[in-house]
Amino acid sequence: MSAAAGKYLTFFLGAEEYGMEIRAVHEIIGMLPITRVPRTPPVVRGVINLRGRVISILDLRRRFDLPALEPGPTSCIIVVAAHAAHVGLLVDRVSEVADIAAADIAPPPPLGGGAHTDFLVGIAKSAARVRLLLDISRVVDADDLAAAGPDDGAPTAA
Amino acid sequence: MTCISRAVPAWAVARRHPSSRSVRVPPASRRPSRNILSRFEKLSAAIGRLGVSDLETRGALRTDVLGLIDHVPAGRARACVSLRLVAEALRPDRDRGDRQPALHQAARALLDAVRGYLASPKARDRLSVIEGPERSTIAIMRNLPDRRPPSVVARAESLPALALPNDTDRSLLGDFCDEAREYIESAEAALLVLERQPDNGDAAQTVMRAFHSIKGTAGFLKLDGLVALAHHGESLLGERRRRDGFAGRVAALSLRALDALRDTVANLDASRAGAALAYPPDFLDVLRELEAIDAEPGAAAVEHGGSRTAAVATARDGAATHSARVRLDRLDALVDLVGELVVAHWMIAQDPETGHDHPELARKVAHAGKLVRDLHDMSMGLRMVPLRGTCNKLVRLARDLAERAGKQVDCRVDGEMTELDRNMVELVADPLMHMVRNAIDHGIEPPDERRACGKPAAGCLTLRATQMNGQVVVAVSDDGRGLQRDRILERAQARGLVRPGEVLSDADVLDLIFAPGLSTAQQVTDVSGRGVGMDVVRRNIQALHGRVDVHSMPAQGTTITLRVPLTLAITDGLLVRVGEERYIVPTTNVVVSVRPERAALFTVGGRGEMVRLRHDVLPLVRLHQLLGVHGASEDPTAALLMVVGAGDRRCALLVDAILGQQQVVAKPVTAGIGEVAGIAGAAILGDGRVGLILDVPQILDLARRAQPNAQAVA
Repeated sequence: MSAAAGKYLTFFLGAEEYGMEIRAVHEIIGMLPITRVPRTPPVVRGVINLRGRVISILDLRRRFDLPALEPGPTSCIIVVAAHAAHVGLLVDRVSEVADIAAADIAPPPPLGGGAHTDFLVGIAKSAARVRLLLDISRVVDADDLAAAGPDDGAPTAA
Repeated sequence: MTCISRAVPAWAVARRHPSSRSVRVPPASRRPSRNILSRFEKLSAAIGRLGVSDLETRGALRTDVLGLIDHVPAGRARACVSLRLVAEALRPDRDRGDRQPALHQAARALLDAVRGYLASPKARDRLSVIEGPERSTIAIMRNLPDRRPPSVVARAESLPALALPNDTDRSLLGDFCDEAREYIESAEAALLVLERQPDNGDAAQTVMRAFHSIKGTAGFLKLDGLVALAHHGESLLGERRRRDGFAGRVAALSLRALDALRDTVANLDASRAGAALAYPPDFLDVLRELEAIDAEPGAAAVEHGGSRTAAVATARDGAATHSARVRLDRLDALVDLVGELVVAHWMIAQDPETGHDHPELARKVAHAGKLVRDLHDMSMGLRMVPLRGTCNKLVRLARDLAERAGKQVDCRVDGEMTELDRNMVELVADPLMHMVRNAIDHGIEPPDERRACGKPAAGCLTLRATQMNGQVVVAVSDDGRGLQRDRILERAQARGLVRPGEVLSDADVLDLIFAPGLSTAQQVTDVSGRGVGMDVVRRNIQALHGRVDVHSMPAQGTTITLRVPLTLAITDGLLVRVGEERYIVPTTNVVVSVRPERAALFTVGGRGEMVRLRHDVLPLVRLHQLLGVHGASEDPTAALLMVVGAGDRRCALLVDAILGQQQVVAKPVTAGIGEVAGIAGAAILGDGRVGLILDVPQILDLARRAQPNAQAVA
């Protein structure tokens, strides 16, 4: 599957800029108190109360094996609809909604099975910058998440 | 043919049932449409009681009378036509016997009363706001050129393929499927009653009514096959049963006819979602057999003995109008919203602003709180349904399976009116079916084997449902050969579930039947014995925060007990603090909370921590360790031990403090995470943050795994 042209929401994790199809995005909210859920992989930050609904929050830094960073003032939660449920994605900073033309999209480079190449469906290049386009449904794949974070039943902290 | 019963004089019935006269004086009404409908129901019931024991005619009367509701706003003339039909059907010269004058008079009086009422402008206004389940009947009436049920019944050999006319109203079809399912369900229950009491006229009447009603509606939808099947089914249960009794061929064919109906309705329902439409495979066979039995001589010469039952059946018709059908999603939304309201109110009540400085406000909030609680109780009650339907299905299943396996079985049902959240009822049905399958297939022996052991040839299967401590307990017991401890152990060892030489208690061995892939059936049959079953049962029940236990005695039988909470929607819980985290422990699981003496604490083998509380010795579970929480109190004598239990297992959880009691709306936490062991769900707490609800049975399991020495957890 390769990325299609269209509107993308772009955001930052560290210095890297990512994009996800805007139609997957439900809303963007500021940080809310997150309740930790025990015995879940580290990528799961916990759950929040989104107007009476409980949705889980995934830390995209941890998802992509980037260095962990506590949420700061620009941190945001992007709520996406995937697999018939809403999931919040914790990102460092939301950037913009960009119109990405087909001509600007290149297929993802073969990075030799690096951790997050699975989620990459394309690379959007423009004059100034490079954006990594994500397949959100793969990012929030529950089976994959369970496999990603070891949870052998041992306490996550002593 | 119309035939007036002589068993109960109509005037006597009318006198005994004053409700039949209430039609004359319509009381002022706050719920106009319902009242009018119930009045018509009473009218039709009254006509039934007048003694028309021929069901088809009475059904037609009822249909016509209901049809009036629609026709009146359009013009009174057509209403009068319907009324004339009713009068025609009741014409005395069609009848024999000496009760006709009274009958005739009563019918006239009733019809006059209705005519008079319908003529008033008030009735006109009210009739325009009919809503609810009757709408489908009304829609049917609207499309009905001739309100009589179709008199020509299609034959199996010339039956065209199942198809719907192009102009079929899809929503009407959906209503039909819903209604038909309900009728089929009630008919099935009644057939099971008939099996035990072949003379039970009420039950026969229920089945006939189901066939009749389905026939009527199917006719409007031009589903000729269904009409034919229902028609023959009705006469099978009517004339043929009265002549031959409910046994043998009649009984077997009734069940098959009902199955064929159900399958056809299922296909129709599926077709609304785009599935191809066709009769189920054995539909034509069943229809042919029904036709054959109907064509046998003697069927026409009928002794009518159904008058006693008719009165009962119609009385039940009247009772049915006191319930309304509500769409499930609306009901669920209502229950959810009320749950949120409870929480929202709790937030207000807890707000310090509300408290001490404003006693007047606090009083009002407290009053509102009482109303909210009542509302909550009531809304929860709305979704409660009895387990009866499920029990009937299970008995039917047991019967069919036993027949197929050449076994005899008596089914006993106890506590079928025990209520459970509707969603829950659906979720426990599958596990219960597995349990019944196992009981018949593996538990109950063939008749010869039973006789050889000195048991009665027919095995006994008992379904017992009770409500206990906010849980519903359903036990499936058989008096069969019992679980064979040695075979289970042998199999478990062969599959590596148990290490050779490992010593297990009897209870532990029996518990192995819930292990994946373990089956002790000697042969694979088409019902069970494929090595799946009990592990699925346990998994499904645990997902409902329930529990399955097994007890078995060799040669005496097996009992499998399933415990589930009444509802999954609302949890009454204690809010506890563990370090910086807060958790909700369902109150149903909490036994007691204590701060232990130092002397009560001890360890087993230097590892498993235990605590002695009065007469109990319980494993001590450090919740903060189990859940990986930082900053929690490590010293039980400075914190709190909360004794929790599930089933007959208990342990003492170490928590920092109990913050209060709270009712919470349980929400799933699975999205994007999957199931989380030890967590039953999440809820919004008073401060708007999310609190996690502990799943005590799973916590017990986790603790047991973490502390293998602590046998008492098991």
